Amino acid sequence: MSNDAIQEQTQNLVQELRRGVIILAVLSQLHEEQYGYSLMKSLEDQGMQIDQGTLYPLLRRLEEQKLLESNWRMDTSRPRRYYILSDFGRQVLEEMTLEWSRIKTTVDQLLEK
Amino acid sequence: MKLIELYLEEIRHRLPPRNREDILREIHSVLMDTLEDRDSNTGQAFDEETIKSVLKEFGSPRKIARQYGAHNYLIGPRFFPLYILVLKIVLIVITALNVLGVSVVFISQSGFGTGMWETISTILGGVLNTLFTGFGIVTLAFACIERTTPEDWGVDFEKDWQPEDLYKEENQERIKLAELAVGITMNLILIAALNFFLDRIGIYYLSDSGWVSTPILNENFKPFIPWITAYAIMDITLSIYLIRKEYWDKTGSIAQIFINVFKIAVISAIISSPGIITIDPTTWQQLFPNAELTAQGLTHTVNLVLEILMGIAIFGLSVDSIKRLYLTFIKGRHTVIEINKD
Repeated sequence: MSNDAIQEQTQNLVQELRRGVIILAVLSQLHEEQYGYSLMKSLEDQGMQIDQGTLYPLLRRLEEQKLLESNWRMDTSRPRRYYILSDFGRQVLEEMTLEWSRIKTTVDQLLEK
Repeated sequence: MKLIELYLEEIRHRLPPRNREDILREIHSVLMDTLEDRDSNTGQAFDEETIKSVLKEFGSPRKIARQYGAHNYLIGPRFFPLYILVLKIVLIVITALNVLGVSVVFISQSGFGTGMWETISTILGGVLNTLFTGFGIVTLAFACIERTTPEDWGVDFEKDWQPEDLYKEENQERIKLAELAVGITMNLILIAALNFFLDRIGIYYLSDSGWVSTPILNENFKPFIPWITAYAIMDITLSIYLIRKEYWDKTGSIAQIFINVFKIAVISAIISSPGIITIDPTTWQQLFPNAELTAQGLTHTVNLVLEILMGIAIFGLSVDSIKRLYLTFIKGRHTVIEINKD
């Protein structure tokens, strides 16, 4: 296998891996109200880069699933949609965080062997 | 900023109606936030290069629309325009055939009788039934296509998308999908009728032995069938090409002019030939036994009216060709898209 093929395959798998944790990352940042772009920047600053084409439709889906609440705010320089965790979203996030810890511990153990 | 309006407009007509305006408002807001972040000239209009680079980063309108529609709909943005087009064609064909059926009943019975209303109500019931069936089949077929086509279908094409394409598309005259759909349908009906059901084009009436039809197109018409079929096929090919392109380009315009000239030549040949319609005297006698006008007299009148109609068609085709010549080679640029600024 050439180095390029290894790189390409790794990149594909890493993308898949990231896709699985994006929801957790997004929910974790929405205890406080944020608009899409500020959320994207905040995640980026913390090392989690999300393409806007993935983030915005995801936010809408999470809202449809009642995990988030949103409202258009007009008091800023231009209208912006702000998102925040709903009560239901907070409970789901708590459960997901616990599950994440379990998965992380298990995978760490698996990788150490 | 014009580029952003064009970009949003391109996304708009690819989004299914539900939440369309809200999604567009959000995309607009995100675009402006991104631009503001990139452009250091606060308070001034964003420069074109920054806008282009941000739009390129966002990706083609088709891609954006797909991202917002994926998995939420029975038929997503990738196939939605084609679905509507096919649905229109199917429903128009069904309606046209049924209207034709009602007309035949009406003409052949020369008025409404008691039995006539019964026949028509049966036909109208059938229309509704076939319309629902047609709608169901098309929707089901597209739902299957939507779920079986890989997510990255057409992605290579989208990678080549450039923001400058928005200007290129703006400068073109957009095709009218409904018009082309009707055109394709009519041409298909014409090809089928002339090549497979020529003897069915005629006068229908109810005789003592049941429904009877007498053909009206005579031997003089038959040599023209291959030529008429040829231009109908050319018309359909051009319509498919235009649907794929989404706007009139030079190739499309030249092809249209060529087809128009071809049609004019065929129609002129038909006009200069002896009459192509013959009313059968026996049928005429049976339908209107007391009519003063003879079948021969009627044949003459019908052929004359047909020649006048063909003359008008030649005039229409000439006007259309001149218009296309002007738009393509003289004016250089075409109709401007109306941007919805809400």
